[in-house]
Amino acid sequence: MAREKSVLLEIKDLHIEGRVDEKWIEIVHGVDLTLHRGEVLGLIGESGAGKSTIGLAAMGFARDGCRISGGSIEFDGMELTSTPESDLRVLRGSRIAYVAQSAAASFNPSHKIIDQYTEAPVQYRIRKRMESQEDAIELYRRLRLPNPDEIGFRYPHQVSGGQLQRAMTAMAMSCRPDLIIFDEPTTALDVTTQIEVLAAIRDIVDQFNTAAIYITHDLAVVAQMADTIKVLLKGDEVEQADTRTMLDSPQEEYTKSLWAVRSFRSAQKTPADPSETPVVSMKNVDAAYGDIKVLEDISFDIHSGRTVAVVGESGSGKSTAARCITGLLPPTSGTIEFKGEVLPASYKDRTKDQLRQAQMIYQMADTALNPKKRISEIIGRPAAFYGNLKGADLKKRVDELLDLIELEPRQFYERFPAELSGGQKQRIGIARALAADPTFIICDEVTSALDQLVAEGILRLLDNLQQELNLAYMFITHDLATVRAIADEVVVMKDGRIIEKGPKDEMFTPPHDPYTDLLLSSVPEMDPDWLTTLLEERGVDNVGEAARDHQS
Amino acid sequence: MKDVFGIVAKRLGLGLVTLLIVSIIIFGAVEMLPGDLAQAVLGQSATPETVEAMRKELGLDRPAPVRYLDWLKGAVTGDFGTSLANKRPVAEQIGPRFANTLFLAAYAAVIAVPLSIGLGIMAALYRNSVFDRVANVATLTSISSPEFFVGYILVLFLAVLNPLFPSISSLSEDMTLAQKLERTFLPALTLVLVVTAHMMRMTRAAIINLLASPYIEMARLKGVPNWRVITHHALPNAWAPVINVVALNLAYLITGVVLVEVVFVYPGIGQLLVDSVTARDFPVVQASCLIFASTFIILNLLADVGAILTNPRLRHPK
Amino acid sequence: MNYFIIGYYAMLIGASCVAAYFKNRQAFLLIFTLTLVSFVMGLIGGESVLWSVTVAAGLIAASAGIAYSFREFLIIILPKQGAKTMRTAPLTASFGLFVVIIYVIAAVFAPVIAPFGQAEVVGTSFAPPDDKMLLGADQLGRDMFSRIIYGARNTMGLSLMTTAIAYLMGCVLGMLAAVRGGWLDQFLGRLVDVIMSIPSLIFALLLLSIFGTQLYILVLVIAFIYTPYVFRLSRAVAGNIVVMDYIEAARLRGEGTWHLITREVLPNAMAPLVAEFGLRFCFVFLLVAGLSFLGLGIQPPTADWGSMVRENATLISFGEITPLIPAAAIALLTVSINFIVDWMLYLSAGLKD
Repeated sequence: MAREKSVLLEIKDLHIEGRVDEKWIEIVHGVDLTLHRGEVLGLIGESGAGKSTIGLAAMGFARDGCRISGGSIEFDGMELTSTPESDLRVLRGSRIAYVAQSAAASFNPSHKIIDQYTEAPVQYRIRKRMESQEDAIELYRRLRLPNPDEIGFRYPHQVSGGQLQRAMTAMAMSCRPDLIIFDEPTTALDVTTQIEVLAAIRDIVDQFNTAAIYITHDLAVVAQMADTIKVLLKGDEVEQADTRTMLDSPQEEYTKSLWAVRSFRSAQKTPADPSETPVVSMKNVDAAYGDIKVLEDISFDIHSGRTVAVVGESGSGKSTAARCITGLLPPTSGTIEFKGEVLPASYKDRTKDQLRQAQMIYQMADTALNPKKRISEIIGRPAAFYGNLKGADLKKRVDELLDLIELEPRQFYERFPAELSGGQKQRIGIARALAADPTFIICDEVTSALDQLVAEGILRLLDNLQQELNLAYMFITHDLATVRAIADEVVVMKDGRIIEKGPKDEMFTPPHDPYTDLLLSSVPEMDPDWLTTLLEERGVDNVGEAARDHQS
Repeated sequence: MKDVFGIVAKRLGLGLVTLLIVSIIIFGAVEMLPGDLAQAVLGQSATPETVEAMRKELGLDRPAPVRYLDWLKGAVTGDFGTSLANKRPVAEQIGPRFANTLFLAAYAAVIAVPLSIGLGIMAALYRNSVFDRVANVATLTSISSPEFFVGYILVLFLAVLNPLFPSISSLSEDMTLAQKLERTFLPALTLVLVVTAHMMRMTRAAIINLLASPYIEMARLKGVPNWRVITHHALPNAWAPVINVVALNLAYLITGVVLVEVVFVYPGIGQLLVDSVTARDFPVVQASCLIFASTFIILNLLADVGAILTNPRLRHPK
Repeated sequence: MNYFIIGYYAMLIGASCVAAYFKNRQAFLLIFTLTLVSFVMGLIGGESVLWSVTVAAGLIAASAGIAYSFREFLIIILPKQGAKTMRTAPLTASFGLFVVIIYVIAAVFAPVIAPFGQAEVVGTSFAPPDDKMLLGADQLGRDMFSRIIYGARNTMGLSLMTTAIAYLMGCVLGMLAAVRGGWLDQFLGRLVDVIMSIPSLIFALLLLSIFGTQLYILVLVIAFIYTPYVFRLSRAVAGNIVVMDYIEAARLRGEGTWHLITREVLPNAMAPLVAEFGLRFCFVFLLVAGLSFLGLGIQPPTADWGSMVRENATLISFGEITPLIPAAAIALLTVSINFIVDWMLYLSAGLKD
């Protein structure tokens, strides 16, 4: 890839402040950034790292309640911090464009997609309205949107999320800008849809030799998109290097920790004895929300001491299956057996002991712990409720549990959830489940809201606990890296049905059902050539959708 | 478009059912009188014979559901029975007074609606400015003051200390429109002050909410000029919240009008209702309550229908 | 042209110059707008308008002064945590606190403060103020000042009791509906919609005309009318809480409805419910005052601000402000509570992030 090497954007010592309670607090502390024409820079960091704020600052824009308080932003020889707002406005849309995270919210619901496309070119007199419409259709075709001649004349809510995101990329291109800011453009999408959008973005950025800042928290994604990667932490730069160097030999401790997570693998256990009664067994379960059928003929077993990972995209029914097991959503037909005996369909009809044996750990630790209760109450309640423990016995049990999840009892006993970090909260969630002394635990996306390093700690803890207490896990996730790390068996779901199930090692070696293949192959890998290779394998015109057509 | 009509029809149906239940409540409430209507009107000292005669006269010997259906049939055709106090048909008393009340409410609304929407939009656009802060304190004060306080202050300053307008708003048939407008200026102004405060705050909140949408930020990031962000991107989506605000406040006007009519001795339906409550003239009370409640329900209904019709997601279904 | 007018404009123009010199754009705009407005108003209304503006400005300045010193006072006497919160309080909120505290003192110590009883006839009717009677006498010759003090007790006490009953019923039903869900939730929701589709003042008039105007009936009727509003509020607040995973966890543990409401939902719903209590109290208070003004609320001879306005209304046409005093007392209290609630809502919103 030969690129022009003239500097397009140069940010020096950028400081940005945010308004909290009538006071200005600095949220970006002196970041430098250089971007050449045609270059793609990946900005990566956790939430709160200041990625989006820096991205917007590159347009000379600060959100309400934020202000650029120091440093310089030079775009193509123009100092944006001292340019009057009216001149900045003319830059936006024409020379610097923006692609937002949620296309569904960022398209105006009152106007047709194509009218929003033509707005900027017509306003800047770059093209006439009709010309711009033809141009839009051309770009829609290039981005492989279905029905490119017609799709623009629909309203945003009439188009699916992945297609809208591509339409928004097209819209950003409408004036052929020099620079596009992509702000987490695929975060809200499923993996199979994400591929289409990633391919579209990379394709179009290449073709027009546009420079881009690609903001994301997903390392594997940025590895595909960026020439250079800059890592941010809490408004400071950690390090910057070109993509391959960064992936092969990160320098800083923090960056290494980001990379580290994918190393954990639980030991492969021997397959469970098929004659042994499974702890939980779903037998031909159908379920529906009102008239809408959400599960169809679901059957699988979970044996003690084993982890079954249930994998699928959003809407596949994986969480619904868990709701059926817990009794929150009684199945319309089929049964759920616990250690060989049939459980009542609704949790309201189950005995206290049945409820005790099956526990649940949630994705969002913030909403899973009552913010007005102390840690001792949160963990103590199940112990008191099921075990009738009181006073000193109860305190001893709570201490034991806190030890079990590797938190110092004296430090945490009296605290409220708000005083804990995300990982600590998730550990408290685990302790609450353990307090009931269960045999089976449902883990619903327990690591997806956590930073990578913390997530790994949680996975190790769960693995240790499983060996120590011989627990059975049902592990619901959309993240295949997590599946690789912890599962013994895998169940793949789509549209409320089981597509495939089997031991982990089998599932990660082909051949498979086409959907499983599509799903497995769509998960971005850290290899920078992964997307290129994948697109070649699939044939460039076949980006996901063809495989999906084949599927249905 | 079929979908929209379906939703609108459903909403209208719901409104009709609500209206029906409300009429049952209003009728049923009077049935809950200790003793019965005749006893209540004549008092404890009446002889059993006179009470019995009254019962006959009022038709109380028939079962309640039958009387309800009769009453409802009458109400729909504009016949609300006879007043107990002066034996005249209720409709005859209410008719002209209801017209007067509508005149006053319309007078206030014509001034208040554009004024408060304009001011509300300004407060939202210049958020946290001096104008916004002053407006916040002023509207809060106005909302918190009882209508009669505002009314009497206006009387004191604009009628007594500076005799610019009449403090008593009696109307007669032969007045010209200009005379009527002058006569009713003070009550209308009172209503305007109170309603504008409410409406302005609600408009401000709705517009601020709207301007925080990602698509407004997107428009700004596309370099769309400020005025066009407002007219082209915000306004088409602002109809539903604004219609809602207006309808809610017109409904509020209906209640506020009662107190204001009493302050200014204005010959409206509110004054009539208060007088009839004091005189325990139940047919008039029932009729006025039904009229107030219906107006209230219809306004809410219009707000919902307006919101449905201006929602782009419903106008252009998948 | 007299000295007052010259002084008036000199002050305003001087003040705007000072503001401009110190580059305080907002203050300058405010003062200069006031100058222009009084120019126009002065031409139309003459000197008296300028006097009113001066008096109003003086009142606002005095209130701001009271608010400022009261806030400083609270910062000094309150323990650390409270002082820290007070330091961030806007002037409006501390003014509100000051007024509410004065009112509460007046209500609690009414018999001590008031020189006469509320029904005691001590002078001739409409007697002007003198040494004995601070604000003169009303239409029956009772002391206005004493009646206003007693009015604080009666009107506020009644409204507080009514709001408390409405809150108790509304919150219990609202939380029950949110936690139980299903047909109960549906049924209560519909019922409340219907009741709320009758304007509250109208509904109150209807019910009072039927059940009479005894004090306990007044309390029950208004509490009944306001219960749906509280129901909606608590249902909405609890509705946001019951979807949380920790509620699901408690349900799956097998906890009963009562435990869910009192231990899991209520502690999280307290903050918004308490803030809203102030607002609901204002609405109830205004409704009670309105009904009394119409002669259908608290009955004579019990002193009450709404009926005092009505009884003395005729004085207005003589340019007297006496009947406006109880009305102003009502407005001042509701404004103050609104100021406090505004601040509390801001605080609880700020705590979230």
